[in-house]
Parts: sequence; C-alpha cells; structure tokens
Amino acid sequence: MNKPNQLRMTVYAALFVALIAIGAFIHIPIGPIPIVLQNMFVLLAGIILGPVWGLACVAIYLFIGICGLPVFSGGHSGIGWILGPTGGYLIAYLPAVVATASISKILGQKFSGNVIAMVAGSVIIYALGVPWLKFAFSMTWTKAFAAGMYPFIIGDCVKVIAAAMIARMLKPVVTLQPQNKTA
Amino acid sequence: MKTPLIKIENLNHSFSDGTCGIRDICLCIDPEEFIILAGRNGSGKTTLIRHFNGLLHPSSGKITLNGNSIFKDINLARKKIGMIFQDADTQIVGDTVFDEVAFGLENLKIERQYITKKVMQVLKQLHLDHLKDRSPATLSGGEKRKLAIAGILVMEPDIILFDEPFSNLDYPGTLSILEILIDLHESGRTIIVAAHNMEAIIAHATRLIIMEDGRIKKDGPPKDLVKTLERFGIKEPCSSRLGFGIQPWQN
Amino acid sequence: MAELTLFTYRKGDSLLHLLDVRCKFILLCLTSICIFKAHFSSVFLFIFVLIFFFINCRINLLKNLSGLAFFLLLLVLMFISRSVALPGDPVFTLFDISVTKQGMTDGALMVSRFFTIMMAGILFSITTRPASLKNAIQWLLKPVPFVPEKRVAVMVSLALTFLPLILRQANQVSDAQKARLGNLNKNPVKKIVRLSIPLLKKTFVSADNLAFAMEARCYDEDRTDPEFHLSGKEGLFFIGGLVLSACLVLY
Ligand SMILES: Nc1ncnc2c1ncn2[C@@H]1O[C@H](COP(=O)(O)OP(=O)(O)O)[C@@H](O)[C@H]1O
Ligand SMILES: [Mg+2]
Repeated sequence: MNKPNQLRMTVYAALFVALIAIGAFIHIPIGPIPIVLQNMFVLLAGIILGPVWGLACVAIYLFIGICGLPVFSGGHSGIGWILGPTGGYLIAYLPAVVATASISKILGQKFSGNVIAMVAGSVIIYALGVPWLKFAFSMTWTKAFAAGMYPFIIGDCVKVIAAAMIARMLKPVVTLQPQNKTA
Repeated sequence: MKTPLIKIENLNHSFSDGTCGIRDICLCIDPEEFIILAGRNGSGKTTLIRHFNGLLHPSSGKITLNGNSIFKDINLARKKIGMIFQDADTQIVGDTVFDEVAFGLENLKIERQYITKKVMQVLKQLHLDHLKDRSPATLSGGEKRKLAIAGILVMEPDIILFDEPFSNLDYPGTLSILEILIDLHESGRTIIVAAHNMEAIIAHATRLIIMEDGRIKKDGPPKDLVKTLERFGIKEPCSSRLGFGIQPWQN
Repeated sequence: MAELTLFTYRKGDSLLHLLDVRCKFILLCLTSICIFKAHFSSVFLFIFVLIFFFINCRINLLKNLSGLAFFLLLLVLMFISRSVALPGDPVFTLFDISVTKQGMTDGALMVSRFFTIMMAGILFSITTRPASLKNAIQWLLKPVPFVPEKRVAVMVSLALTFLPLILRQANQVSDAQKARLGNLNKNPVKKIVRLSIPLLKKTFVSADNLAFAMEARCYDEDRTDPEFHLSGKEGLFFIGGLVLSACLVLY
C-alpha cells in the first residue's frame, strides 16, 4: 500500500474507533428498548475497512477502554468492565469484525452479501456474550437468553438492514485513490 | 535574472471523476510577495494551492521550488511551504495545544529538547502559551485558527498558504488573524491567501490574482484590478466601491 | 452525552497526578489481575489504599458512585444470583428458592472484587491525561512484535480528536432533521439511515481533510519518541504495589 493511502486508512480506522466509542452513547428510541448503535458501527467497520484494519480498529477501541479511557457504555472503562458480566459482548467484537469483513469480501460486497456477513457477525457476538453472561450470573441458559439476547433481536435486524444501506451509500465517499492520480 | 521562488508551468488537474479542477496555470512567485488568490467558490483556488506542497499530483505540468521540482524532496517542500487549511476543526491532530504544535517537528524526527523550546517560543509569539495544556476542541474559532498557524510556524516555512483564513470568524478573530498575517509578511515571508472575500486584507496585498473556472483570468497590482472584481463574482471592498480607493481595514 | 465522553481527567497535583503514567498503568493492571485471587481481608486493604488516594486527590467518592448506577445494579444482580445458585446451608427460603450462606459469601466476595477494580480504574482515569496515556500505550507496545506502536499511538490520538468533532456534527445533523420534521418518521430503518448517512458523510469528509493536513505537515510514522516525566516516587510506588499484589494473592 502506498504511503498516502496507508495514512488515509489510519485516519479512517481512527475515525471508526471514535464512532464505536460514541455508538455506545447514541440511543435511538424504537419500541420498548432503545437501540444502541455501537455494534452497528463495529460491523460497519468490518465492511468498510476490511478484516485487517477492522480488527485493528476494534482492538484499539478495547485497548484504550482497558487502559482507562471511559469509552465503554455508560462511560465505563478498565479491566473490571471487560471481565465483568457484559464483557463477553465486547470481546466478541474482535472475531465478529473479522468474520463480517471476510464474509463480505468473499461475497463481493453486495447488499445481500453484506447482510449475510453482518448477521454472521451478530451471531458471533451473542455466541460469546450470552454464555459469558450465564457464567457471570450463574443463571440458567433460558434465563441467559431471555436477558441477553431475545430483547435485542428485533433491534439488531433493523440495524443490520440499516447498516447495509449505509455501506452502499458510503462506498463512493470512502474510496482510496490510485497512486498516480490525486494521491 | 534570478530564479523565482516558485515557478508553475502549464499546470492541469482533473479529479478521478473527470471534473477539471484547474487548467493551464502558469505562475511565478517571488520572495516577499503578498498574494491574494481571488475567485468565487468552485473556481479552483483550493485545488491550485494543494499542488504547491504536493498534496495533489498534477495531471500535467510542473512546479518548482527554487529551481527544483517539489517532488524531488517532498518533505523539504512541505517544510518550506506551510499550509493553513480552510476548516479549522479538521486540521487539528494533537490532543493538547502543545502536542498539536509539536506534531510537524515530531514527524521530522527532531530531538525532543529542541521541539519543546521551539514550540514554547512559537506559542509565546502567538500569545497561546497560557493554553498549552488545553484540549484544542475547547478553543474558540479564532484560537483554533491561531493554533493551526502555530503548528506550521514551528517548521519555519518561507512561504505560507492560507485557504480562506477568515471564513467563520467573528470581528475580533478576523482582526487578530489579520495582524498575524501582516507580521508574518513583515518578517520576510511570502504569503498567499486564497479568498472569495478580501475586504480585510486587500490593503496589504502586493498582488491580486483572479481565478475563474480553473483558469487565471487577471494578475496584477490590487489597485488596478479592484474595479474588475465584481465581474468575476467577487465582492468589491466597500471603500473602493464608495470611491475612496483601497483603505486598510483596521485603523 | 458530551460530558460522559469528554474524558473524566481532572487537573490536579496529587501523588497520583504526578506519578509516571507507565508506573501507574502497570500497577493498575497487576493489582486488577491479582485481585481475582484475593479474599476479604486483602480486598479491604486495597479499598483502604484506594480511599487514601481518593482523599489525596480531593475527589468525592460518593458523587462518582451516582454515575455508576448501571454498574452497581449489575453488581446487585450478580450478588443475588450467586447467593441463590450455590448449594449450601440455607439462610432463608422463598418460593422453593433458598439463599445459602456459602452463596452469599461467594457473591459478596465477587462483588467486592469487581467494585474495587472499578474504583481503581476511576482513580486512574481521573488522574491521567489522555495525551500521556497515549504515550504510555506507545511505550508499552514497543516490545510487542507485529504491532506498529507509533501508528497505534497516532490512531489513539486521532480518535481522541474525532470524538468531540463527531459529537458536534451529530448534534448538527439531529438539529437539522428536527427542523425538517425528520424525526416524525416511524420506520426505524429509515430513522437510523437518515441520522447516520449525513453524519458519516460529514465525518468522512473531515477525515479526508485531516489526512491532507497531516500530509502537509510531513506526516511520518517514524517520529520523535514521547517524553515522560518522573516524579521520583516511582520506586516507592512499585514496591508498595508489589507488596499489595502479594497480599492480594496470599490472603
Ligand atoms: N475531490 C474532488 N473530486 C471531484 N471534484 C472536485 C474535488 N474537489 C474539488 N472538485 C471540483 O473542482 C472545482 C474547484 O474546486 P475548489 O478548488 O475547491 O474551488 P475553491 O477552493 O475555489 O472554492 C470545483 O468545481 C469542485 O467541484
Ligand atoms: Mg476552497
């Protein structure tokens, strides 16, 4: 990758770190449970930045949170929050962003492909988040699913479709220039 | 005849989507000039000055600094030609005022001791030293613009490009930036200001260049060209329109 | 919203404010890991140490607790579910569910550990400038293979400058939509898209601009290393931290 484009990717990835952090604070009131946009930005980071930069961006987000910047939901930070009951969802962002980015790439970054990729990403988030919740509270599986997954499914479907539309509209804005042109 | 500071020959630029940004620009710039680059929005001012320090690559034509192509040593060109961007918010990289000013020198891998000394000197010069630990996001519009100027002054440029330096500034902010511009010119630097409204600076300029549709239409002393400004969709300064000629804006 | 994300660093000159970030960070990590082996006596010791530092920084602990409502609720839930889940001597029984003594002890221990880590983290955030935290991150990542620590440091710093910028743009977008009655839309997908698209377009243009501004200032990943300020008490703190960690593991 040439130097100016590498700089652009660095800046875009930093932008997504900030978006993911802010996503934890943007509530959109839909139905009884307000939607938080954080996981949508994580999946979007995968689709727009690709697997490597997407992973870097999520890793840096988690890392600055662990290091004490209050970027986790509710303004929390620290190892305590990551190891806490809802930490599984955060850790799961790492495999989720890689999976979403790779699947989207394989399926050719079409609208439907992106939807499939993001559904897979969401499944990974719950596959780690719900068991983590179960063991932290030592509750039964039924309760864990009832508390940590069912209430959010409708919101997630909405977010996945919205994110696929956003990705399509954002494509022309986020294009890297070829080296000989306006680098 | 001595070589001009910057020489631009037959410069053209088309964007990747086919839009033509600038066409056939030929320009010589001598040391210690104070140039206003005028033109309505979309006339190609930003596109032109982004070629000066190699941010954009020309589709054809060439640019030389002291006789050498700027691409021969791009870091030297960027150090010698400082650039202040139009949007004050989106050119700030550091998370404190001090770090922001130090950014350019850190990129050049200058040793830390010199950086600290130089940054403090420039902050004092622009009266920003009391803000050095503040987050740039909490500064006022005028202070942000000053901070951007500080960020390039530490690199000791010979030529400074300003893209719309007065946009979105209130009256005191405009005055303080104007003062800095005049000081910089008096200290021997070459100043190039891209603007669509030149009320504040025209009295201090030594040369006025008018652009339209990516071409240079007029080039000469401001007093000769000021009456033609309105033809190119640029507002003529009030004092001139009222028949008093070009008057300095502050008194 | 802005208050929450604007990092809770507060100016001060307490012991922890002056302590080198790297020392502070390593001790925070060490004790946060060791505490998972700790029992009541050493957890209380740790809490006393923390209370001392809270007083030393003149921070009102109770005021900060109110901001932790959600976390405290989680802790209460954790305590209840632990008390119920563990088999042992029942303390009382309600609707066939018995709260056991072992469960309550275990739950209380678990809860006190998480609470203590959280307090330590808050203390760290309050006394550490984000800019110096970024420097510590770069220093810590240096020995880690395959991680370009300087690029990471630049990204952290950029993310910090983007946060207030995005917040401002988000407010602008939502105001503009309210003015056009855009929030009356009932379709949730459209609601998200209408909010996100202008916001993302704006922020990506800002990002592009920022990349240009960095390039214009000779951006290079190979940059001058950051500088750290030692307070002279690092050795003392290290020994104290190690003793505390040993206590946590042993008692
Ligand atoms: N990145 C770009 N892609 C395509 N066209 C562009 C781009 N940037 C500028 N232009 C076009 O180039 C022309 C000159 O723009 P610009 O140099 O920004 O004008 P000015 O600074 O004088 O307002 C305009 O018509 C503008 O639409
Ligand atoms: Mg312009």
